[in-house]
Amino acid sequence: MILRYEEWGAWVKLETIPGVVAIDREGVAALGLDGGERWDTPQPPSAPLEVHLAVTSRCAAGCEGCYLDARPDGYEPPLADLVRSLDAMKDAGVFTVAFGGGEPTTREDLAELTTEARRRGLTPVLTTSGLGLSEEKIERLRGFAQVNVSYDGEGADYERVRGFDGARPAEAAIALLARAGIPVGVNVVLTRDTFDRVAGTLARARSLGAREAQLLRYKPAGRAATLDYLARRLSPEQAASLGPTLRELSRVHAAQAGEFHIRIDCALVPFLSADAELAADAAKLARLGVFGCEAGGALAAVKADGTVAPCSFATSTALRGRDLAEGHAADPELTRWRSYVAAPAEPCASCSLRPVCKGGCKVVSGFVLGLHGPDPECPRVRAHAAAQKQAAS
Amino acid sequence: MKNASREPVLLEHVRVVRVGHGANCSSIGSVVDTLFVGALVGSALFAAIAAALASEPVKIAGAEREADKGDRATREAGEP
Repeated sequence: MILRYEEWGAWVKLETIPGVVAIDREGVAALGLDGGERWDTPQPPSAPLEVHLAVTSRCAAGCEGCYLDARPDGYEPPLADLVRSLDAMKDAGVFTVAFGGGEPTTREDLAELTTEARRRGLTPVLTTSGLGLSEEKIERLRGFAQVNVSYDGEGADYERVRGFDGARPAEAAIALLARAGIPVGVNVVLTRDTFDRVAGTLARARSLGAREAQLLRYKPAGRAATLDYLARRLSPEQAASLGPTLRELSRVHAAQAGEFHIRIDCALVPFLSADAELAADAAKLARLGVFGCEAGGALAAVKADGTVAPCSFATSTALRGRDLAEGHAADPELTRWRSYVAAPAEPCASCSLRPVCKGGCKVVSGFVLGLHGPDPECPRVRAHAAAQKQAAS
Repeated sequence: MKNASREPVLLEHVRVVRVGHGANCSSIGSVVDTLFVGALVGSALFAAIAAALASEPVKIAGAEREADKGDRATREAGEP
């Protein structure tokens, strides 16, 4: 295990069980360890646990909603630059590096990058579209702890989200990875057109060998930062039904033999406020490690040009990836992103989920409202706004 | 920062459990099916975590960097 001291105890990355746990000071002491000055003196904000590293902005897929605006002639940073960022991640105590892009499998040196990440104690994972993944190319992916394939639905549903029919290559990639014994999951972007068929999408992915599905909120970044976003985002009813949907998906998949986990991304957490049972037990969500907006906190992104951003969807800061360890705590823009949750506006201020949700997706609030405010698509925020409007009239 | 002995980490000292690595490169994800499982499965998960904490060798994140800083300070102070 790798242990990283925190003011309250330590984060621990386990090796025999894939995952990360937080233990308090007494738990650390039981391991025969002591945080020393990390516990005795005030400390700056913690470094990220996970960094998303865009290893290229090159991609031929041309997805309509690409958050990076990746293109066939995109930029591929030199290996040495990426290794310097990996060095900084190691120095900062980062646990996981998620390689993305662009299409990361277009890099010839991907296996080398994976080795460099492992050498630094980082757990490398990867997201791919699956396009062009041959058996030979898959051999280069053996160093990854998990590979996720973007898979938004069967046939027409995939095309509805991405603008081209890439379902079959994605399905082939999932099956190839599973056959090769590489842990494989799927990333499923939820849109208004496809949300109601998410159960079928997960069933299909599982039948192909996926062990996990990560559900993702559609976000207004890159090529998706247009008015079209407003038509593609989940309807208020769909957003409010996320809790019951997850409950049912979990029940269905738990009843089957074998392992299959369901994940949600940080931006979907505010939608759980509409689920009375979940909203009433934020402590349970926190204990089971549900993270809301961690942009600038437990999460950071290093873009293909080497700049650090609070998350992959956010605008870059002036900080460089190679300076992550020294600069993360003091960077003014990262500080601004972290600070929202300390004193948010209503209805976040009085929300039981606030310690987990952290105010919802700031990329969405930035696009829709033009500022870091309560997530305008959160069911609780919608209800609050409707009540205020009614009171005013 | 090291003490001498190692004892089992009691579950009451485990504050957070984040299962799995995930592999999404754009937003941070969290396993949620564990929210809906029965208490028995949840207890088994935490027990497995406690066993891992009791048996895995420990490395300290950033320890090499701290050592490098210490070496640098010693060199700058002119000490051998």
